[in-house]
Amino acid sequence: MGKDTPLEIREASKWFGDFCAVDSLNLTVEAGDIVGFLGPNGAGKSTSLRMALGVLAPDQGQVALYGKPPDLATLRRVGFLPEERGLYKRMTARQIITYFARLKGLGHRAARTRADDLLEALGLQAFGRHKISRLSKGMAQKVQILTALAHQPDFLILDEPFSGLDPVNQQALESLIVSEHQRGATVIFSTHVMEHAERLCETIVMMAQGRKVFDGPLQAALRTVRRSVRIEVSEGFDLAACLAQHGFRAHADDGIWRVGLAADQDPQDILRAAIGAGAPITSFQPEGARLRDVFVSLVSAPEADDVLSQKREPDYAGGGVS
Amino acid sequence: MSGLLLVARRDYLGYVTAWGFWLGLLLTPLILGVFMLTPVLAASSQPARYFTVIDTDNSFSRAMQAELADRAGSSSLPPAELSVAIGDPASQVSPPLLLPEFIMVPPPAIEPEALAPYLSGEMLIATPEGPRPLFAALIVSDDEGSIQYLSENMQAQALLDIARAAERKLAEERVFAAAGVSSRLIEDARSARRDVVAQRMRSGTLSGASDVTLQDRAPFIVSIALAFVLWFLVFSVVNYLLMGTIEERSNKIFDSLLTSVRLPQLLAGKLLAVLLLSLTLIAFWSGGSTLLTWAVSNRLPPDVLNQLSILGAAVLKPMMLGPALLSFLLGYLIYGALFLALGSLCDTIQEAQTLMTPLIILLMVPLFMLTIAMDDVGSPAIYGLSWVPLFTPFLLILRMPAEPPLWEVVAQLGLMVLTTYAILRLATRVYRAGAVHGAGLGDVGVWFKRLLPGRARTKPNDRA
Repeated sequence: MGKDTPLEIREASKWFGDFCAVDSLNLTVEAGDIVGFLGPNGAGKSTSLRMALGVLAPDQGQVALYGKPPDLATLRRVGFLPEERGLYKRMTARQIITYFARLKGLGHRAARTRADDLLEALGLQAFGRHKISRLSKGMAQKVQILTALAHQPDFLILDEPFSGLDPVNQQALESLIVSEHQRGATVIFSTHVMEHAERLCETIVMMAQGRKVFDGPLQAALRTVRRSVRIEVSEGFDLAACLAQHGFRAHADDGIWRVGLAADQDPQDILRAAIGAGAPITSFQPEGARLRDVFVSLVSAPEADDVLSQKREPDYAGGGVS
Repeated sequence: MSGLLLVARRDYLGYVTAWGFWLGLLLTPLILGVFMLTPVLAASSQPARYFTVIDTDNSFSRAMQAELADRAGSSSLPPAELSVAIGDPASQVSPPLLLPEFIMVPPPAIEPEALAPYLSGEMLIATPEGPRPLFAALIVSDDEGSIQYLSENMQAQALLDIARAAERKLAEERVFAAAGVSSRLIEDARSARRDVVAQRMRSGTLSGASDVTLQDRAPFIVSIALAFVLWFLVFSVVNYLLMGTIEERSNKIFDSLLTSVRLPQLLAGKLLAVLLLSLTLIAFWSGGSTLLTWAVSNRLPPDVLNQLSILGAAVLKPMMLGPALLSFLLGYLIYGALFLALGSLCDTIQEAQTLMTPLIILLMVPLFMLTIAMDDVGSPAIYGLSWVPLFTPFLLILRMPAEPPLWEVVAQLGLMVLTTYAILRLATRVYRAGAVHGAGLGDVGVWFKRLLPGRARTKPNDRA
């Protein structure tokens, strides 16, 4: 296992009683990557990340951070945001960022300076001396994210970092992740909101029922599902019959036709066939594959439905002092 | 600074910056002081109790007068303050400490039925303090079959005891007089009695025996005080551990901490923080007491100062201080680790209370032993329970003034060390289960079931 590789997991499994949370997971995160760790609830994402950090020991297999089993020395290079958020409510934002920075090895003065810098960078300096109990949920979450960044880690492990944030703060967090990546940090974050992964990630790892179902570049993931073309025609026209003569299969949903494209087919072929058949086209739009489609195709349908319905009802929490 | 010290520092500052800590720090000595002074204050502020005696020949009245005078004479008050005169409400007997003051008054009525309104408080008798209710009446019947004691208050037994003692002496006098023994002779016989003087054996020889002084009693007094302080500290500070751990569990902060410090470091840091907290309490209270004593030392009588210095010296004796410090440290670790493990399994205080009850009962046993030690530190109960490591921290201190064999002290300390180690190991496992795996109260039952034969858990590796 390479000492420059931030994370390597080999054949790791974790059982809780009779339940297998993670089954023979193999995962490598290379330096400089931004990896999206996707999967529905209960897929084993958090358990995998906790194993990666040494919080949980795998029942079988191996985990290495920078080539070594996780220990305090290697963990000093890691910043972690847990899925279950929590801070000491009677400490101020500044105190708690300083505390975690010191736990990661920074001196008192350096930790305090870093806390002030981070609070200022996120426009939170006015709340630095406020106790956590006085901050809103979203604000407290931002402070917790800063505790993970306080020691300028080489490797960021973020478990569901976007949950609980409103769209504005989700956007701010995306920018923060990008800036950390630009600083040189390797990032892995779990999420079941596909859009974040699409915007941020170069590499995607998908989990379902404790097993890895995909691991590779985002583009490769997108290639696993068919592209399509969205066509609108005048009412009453049977586009399916028209295109079937040219070997294309079209299906209608609410008056909108969709035609799947094989990897070697071009949308222009469909357009030419439809025009040639005299189809009264009012709209024609090629559609790229979406990560959401990849997710649906790779994860079993009921699970995917659960996750996507959760995505449609985000848990917003406003910023500011409550 | 290491992770352990950082955890300890954060927790310690978290505790001492809470206003509740300072409230407890200041109020505890105040409450203890009030608790100790209340019986004395209550007795000294107790109003005088008036009683009357109805007898035809005044013999019982005189016997009561003599008994009251006798008891007052045995108190620490100077004889000049004592005087008794039947029928003179102004003359009264100053009682020994913690006993109420009884004053005999002429009967306001002769018949029991007529006395009833006075005894019930419906009618009052005239006293120098103004009208007051009659506390009791003693009626000596002519046939001398018995003496009636009438009172509304049947809980206060002091006057009844005085009356019984007076009658015992009166009966002796009657019988001796009937046998021709003069009253002078009876008086001589009583005054000829010898004092029983307590002496403490020293050096195993009679020649080494000497009178019991405060110097002898000081180690026993100090041992009881130290055991109580230890019990009180353990009882009060372990709650901080419990609350702190429940807060961390409910705040879901364990994962963040466990990527920065190892679990044993986290546990040790927490225990150290609360140990420092209890040392702060000790320093504050002992420093405060020393300052207070120093501030009022000019006003204190020399003998009181002397007594205080004797007690202080008894605390600082190595044979007392050494085991006391070790007992405090080990006792604190035992109970601290238990409460820490308990807190890691609970999300709320309500949950914790269900598991706390047996621990609280356990902690009550040494407190009960303290009351036994006040009468007899060599009690078999104290000796036997001092071998139970959970109680040794408190009971070994109690035994030290009796100078137990060295091997027993070493063996009990050794047992405590082993128990502390075992409990720390167990607490670490429970804490890991609670903090890392989210185990809760419901899992405790499962763990106990696994201890049953044939119900051991299959290792996950075996299945994989």
